[in-house]
Amino acid sequence: MLDTLTYTEVDGPRKDRQITVYALSTCGFCKRAISFLNDKGFSYRYIYMDQIPLETKNQAKKALKERFKDDVAFPFAVIDEDKHLVGFIEPDWVNTLGVGRS
Amino acid sequence: MPEKNLDQTRTFAQMVSNKQGWVLNPDAEFTDSLVEGLMANWNRYGYFLCPCRDTEGSREADKEVICPCAVSWKDIDEYGHCFCALYFSKAFAASGAAPKSIPDRRFSKEK
Repeated sequence: MLDTLTYTEVDGPRKDRQITVYALSTCGFCKRAISFLNDKGFSYRYIYMDQIPLETKNQAKKALKERFKDDVAFPFAVIDEDKHLVGFIEPDWVNTLGVGRS
Repeated sequence: MPEKNLDQTRTFAQMVSNKQGWVLNPDAEFTDSLVEGLMANWNRYGYFLCPCRDTEGSREADKEVICPCAVSWKDIDEYGHCFCALYFSKAFAASGAAPKSIPDRRFSKEK
Protein backbone atom coordinates (compact mmCIF):
# COMPACT_ATOMS: atom_id res chain seq x y z
CA MET A 1 0.00 0.00 0.00
CA LEU A 2 2.83 2.38 0.87
CA ASP A 3 4.21 2.04 -2.64
CA THR A 4 1.01 3.49 -4.08
CA LEU A 5 1.45 6.85 -2.33
CA THR A 6 2.78 9.86 -4.20
CA TYR A 7 6.03 11.03 -2.67
CA THR A 8 8.09 14.15 -3.28
CA GLU A 9 11.62 13.21 -4.28
CA VAL A 10 14.56 15.28 -3.07
CA ASP A 11 17.89 14.81 -4.78
CA GLY A 12 21.12 15.14 -2.84
CA PRO A 13 24.72 13.98 -3.28
CA ARG A 14 24.35 11.17 -0.72
CA LYS A 15 22.43 8.28 -2.21
CA ASP A 16 23.73 5.46 -0.04
CA ARG A 17 20.59 5.20 2.09
CA GLN A 18 16.99 4.76 1.09
CA ILE A 19 15.06 7.25 3.19
CA THR A 20 11.32 7.89 3.24
CA VAL A 21 9.88 10.48 5.63
CA TYR A 22 6.20 10.48 6.59
CA ALA A 23 5.58 13.98 7.91
CA LEU A 24 3.01 16.64 8.67
CA SER A 25 3.27 19.96 6.86
CA THR A 26 2.46 21.77 10.11
CA CYS A 27 4.92 20.04 12.44
CA GLY A 28 8.08 21.72 13.73
CA PHE A 29 10.03 18.51 14.32
CA CYS A 30 9.11 17.29 10.84
CA LYS A 31 10.63 20.46 9.42
CA ARG A 32 13.72 19.89 11.56
CA ALA A 33 14.06 16.34 10.25
CA ILE A 34 13.76 17.44 6.63
CA SER A 35 16.26 20.26 7.19
CA PHE A 36 18.65 17.73 8.74
CA LEU A 37 18.47 15.52 5.65
CA ASN A 38 18.97 18.53 3.39
CA ASP A 39 21.92 19.79 5.43
CA LYS A 40 23.58 16.37 5.34
CA GLY A 41 23.05 16.09 1.60
CA PHE A 42 20.87 12.99 1.51
CA SER A 43 18.61 11.99 -1.31
CA TYR A 44 15.24 11.08 0.16
CA ARG A 45 11.55 11.18 -0.45
CA TYR A 46 8.79 12.51 1.77
CA ILE A 47 5.05 12.82 1.97
CA TYR A 48 2.90 15.18 4.01
CA MET A 49 0.31 12.89 5.51
CA ASP A 50 -2.03 15.77 6.34
CA GLN A 51 -2.30 16.58 2.65
CA ILE A 52 -3.65 13.23 1.46
CA PRO A 53 -7.18 11.85 1.83
CA LEU A 54 -8.05 10.69 5.36
CA GLU A 55 -8.77 7.11 4.36
CA THR A 56 -5.49 6.83 2.45
CA LYS A 57 -3.61 8.29 5.39
CA ASN A 58 -5.22 5.85 7.81
CA GLN A 59 -4.34 2.92 5.55
CA ALA A 60 -0.73 4.14 5.35
CA LYS A 61 -0.49 4.52 9.13
CA LYS A 62 -1.91 1.02 9.59
CA ALA A 63 0.62 -0.37 7.11
CA LEU A 64 3.50 1.34 8.90
CA LYS A 65 2.31 0.17 12.30
CA GLU A 66 1.97 -3.42 11.15
CA ARG A 67 5.31 -3.43 9.40
CA PHE A 68 7.38 -1.85 12.16
CA LYS A 69 5.32 -2.90 15.21
CA ASP A 70 5.38 0.66 16.47
CA ASP A 71 2.92 3.50 16.92
CA VAL A 72 2.99 6.11 14.21
CA ALA A 73 3.86 9.66 15.21
CA PHE A 74 5.51 12.28 13.05
CA PRO A 75 8.05 12.50 11.62
CA PHE A 76 8.19 8.75 10.92
CA ALA A 77 11.21 7.80 8.81
CA VAL A 78 11.87 4.48 7.09
CA ILE A 79 15.55 3.80 6.44
CA ASP A 80 16.65 1.11 3.98
CA GLU A 81 13.25 -0.58 4.21
CA ASP A 82 14.01 -2.29 7.53
CA LYS A 83 14.76 0.44 10.07
CA HIS A 84 12.61 3.26 11.31
CA LEU A 85 12.81 6.42 13.40
CA VAL A 86 9.90 8.06 15.20
CA GLY A 87 10.15 11.75 16.01
CA PHE A 88 13.25 13.84 15.49
CA ILE A 89 16.00 13.36 18.04
CA GLU A 90 19.13 14.36 16.17
CA PRO A 91 21.57 11.91 17.82
CA ASP A 92 19.26 9.02 16.84
CA TRP A 93 19.18 10.19 13.22
CA VAL A 94 22.96 10.70 13.27
CA ASN A 95 23.51 7.17 14.55
CA THR A 96 21.00 5.48 12.26
CA LEU A 97 22.14 7.32 9.14
CA GLY A 98 25.82 7.22 10.02
CA VAL A 99 26.65 10.88 9.74
CA GLY A 100 28.71 13.31 11.80
CA ARG A 101 27.12 16.05 13.82
CA SER A 102 26.97 19.48 12.24
CA MET B 1 -16.14 29.41 10.95
CA PRO B 2 -14.16 32.60 10.24
CA GLU B 3 -10.56 32.04 9.29
CA LYS B 4 -7.80 33.13 11.65
CA ASN B 5 -4.63 34.96 10.74
CA LEU B 6 -1.16 34.62 12.23
CA ASP B 7 -1.66 37.45 14.73
CA GLN B 8 -4.89 35.94 16.06
CA THR B 9 -3.29 32.51 16.30
CA ARG B 10 -0.23 33.86 18.09
CA THR B 11 -2.52 35.70 20.52
CA PHE B 12 -4.32 32.42 21.23
CA ALA B 13 -1.05 30.62 21.97
CA GLN B 14 0.19 33.49 24.11
CA MET B 15 -3.06 33.51 26.09
CA VAL B 16 -2.82 29.77 26.70
CA SER B 17 0.74 30.03 27.92
CA ASN B 18 -0.06 33.00 30.16
CA LYS B 19 -3.08 31.26 31.69
CA GLN B 20 -1.18 28.06 32.40
CA GLY B 21 1.98 29.72 33.69
CA TRP B 22 3.97 28.45 30.72
CA VAL B 23 5.98 30.39 28.15
CA LEU B 24 6.18 30.08 24.41
CA ASN B 25 9.23 28.38 22.96
CA PRO B 26 11.86 31.15 22.78
CA ASP B 27 13.11 29.84 19.41
CA ALA B 28 11.20 32.38 17.35
CA GLU B 29 11.60 30.57 14.02
CA PHE B 30 10.39 27.26 15.45
CA THR B 31 7.49 28.92 17.26
CA ASP B 32 6.49 30.87 14.17
CA SER B 33 6.29 27.62 12.21
CA LEU B 34 4.09 26.04 14.89
CA VAL B 35 1.81 29.09 15.03
CA GLU B 36 1.54 28.88 11.26
CA GLY B 37 0.67 25.20 11.59
CA LEU B 38 -1.97 25.92 14.23
CA MET B 39 -3.45 28.57 11.97
CA ALA B 40 -3.51 26.15 9.03
CA ASN B 41 -5.30 23.57 11.16
CA TRP B 42 -7.91 26.08 12.36
CA ASN B 43 -8.53 27.22 8.81
CA ARG B 44 -8.99 23.69 7.45
CA TYR B 45 -10.61 21.89 10.41
CA GLY B 46 -12.22 24.69 12.44
CA TYR B 47 -10.26 24.03 15.62
CA PHE B 48 -6.67 24.31 16.81
CA LEU B 49 -5.53 20.76 16.21
CA CYS B 50 -2.00 20.26 17.57
CA PRO B 51 0.32 20.95 14.62
CA CYS B 52 2.26 17.77 15.36
CA ARG B 53 -0.77 15.44 15.40
CA ASP B 54 -2.87 14.34 12.45
CA THR B 55 -6.63 14.50 12.43
CA GLU B 56 -8.83 11.47 12.99
CA GLY B 57 -11.50 13.20 10.94
CA SER B 58 -13.68 15.07 13.43
CA ARG B 59 -13.52 17.46 16.34
CA GLU B 60 -14.91 14.77 18.63
CA ALA B 61 -12.26 12.26 17.59
CA ASP B 62 -9.52 14.89 17.91
CA LYS B 63 -10.64 16.37 21.22
CA GLU B 64 -7.60 15.12 23.14
CA VAL B 65 -5.21 16.76 20.70
CA ILE B 66 -6.79 20.17 20.39
CA CYS B 67 -4.28 22.75 21.61
CA PRO B 68 -3.45 22.77 24.46
CA CYS B 69 -3.66 18.99 24.19
CA ALA B 70 -4.93 16.86 27.06
CA VAL B 71 -1.48 15.48 27.84
CA SER B 72 0.41 18.77 27.67
CA TRP B 73 0.34 19.32 31.44
CA LYS B 74 1.96 15.94 32.10
CA ASP B 75 4.46 16.38 29.27
CA ILE B 76 5.48 19.81 30.51
CA ASP B 77 5.85 18.43 34.04
CA GLU B 78 7.99 15.53 32.84
CA TYR B 79 9.92 16.94 29.88
CA GLY B 80 9.67 20.69 30.33
CA HIS B 81 7.77 21.16 27.10
CA CYS B 82 4.66 19.94 25.33
CA PHE B 83 4.64 17.35 22.54
CA CYS B 84 5.10 19.84 19.72
CA ALA B 85 7.39 22.11 21.82
CA LEU B 86 5.21 25.19 21.50
CA TYR B 87 4.84 25.56 25.26
CA PHE B 88 7.68 25.39 27.78
CA SER B 89 7.67 25.42 31.54
CA LYS B 90 9.35 28.55 32.84
CA ALA B 91 12.10 26.42 34.37
CA PHE B 92 12.82 24.64 31.09
CA ALA B 93 12.95 27.94 29.23
CA ALA B 94 15.33 29.35 31.83
CA SER B 95 17.60 26.30 31.50
CA GLY B 96 18.33 27.11 27.87
CA ALA B 97 17.93 23.43 26.95
CA ALA B 98 16.73 22.54 23.48
CA PRO B 99 13.47 20.62 23.16
CA LYS B 100 13.36 17.29 21.37
CA SER B 101 10.71 14.91 20.17
CA ILE B 102 9.08 13.11 23.07
CA PRO B 103 6.90 9.98 23.08
CA ASP B 104 3.24 10.58 22.34
CA ARG B 105 1.69 9.91 25.74
CA ARG B 106 -1.57 8.89 24.07
CA PHE B 107 0.15 5.68 23.01
CA SER B 108 1.46 4.75 26.44
CA LYS B 109 -0.58 2.59 28.77
CA GLU B 110 -0.16 5.06 31.60
CA LYS B 111 -1.31 8.44 30.38
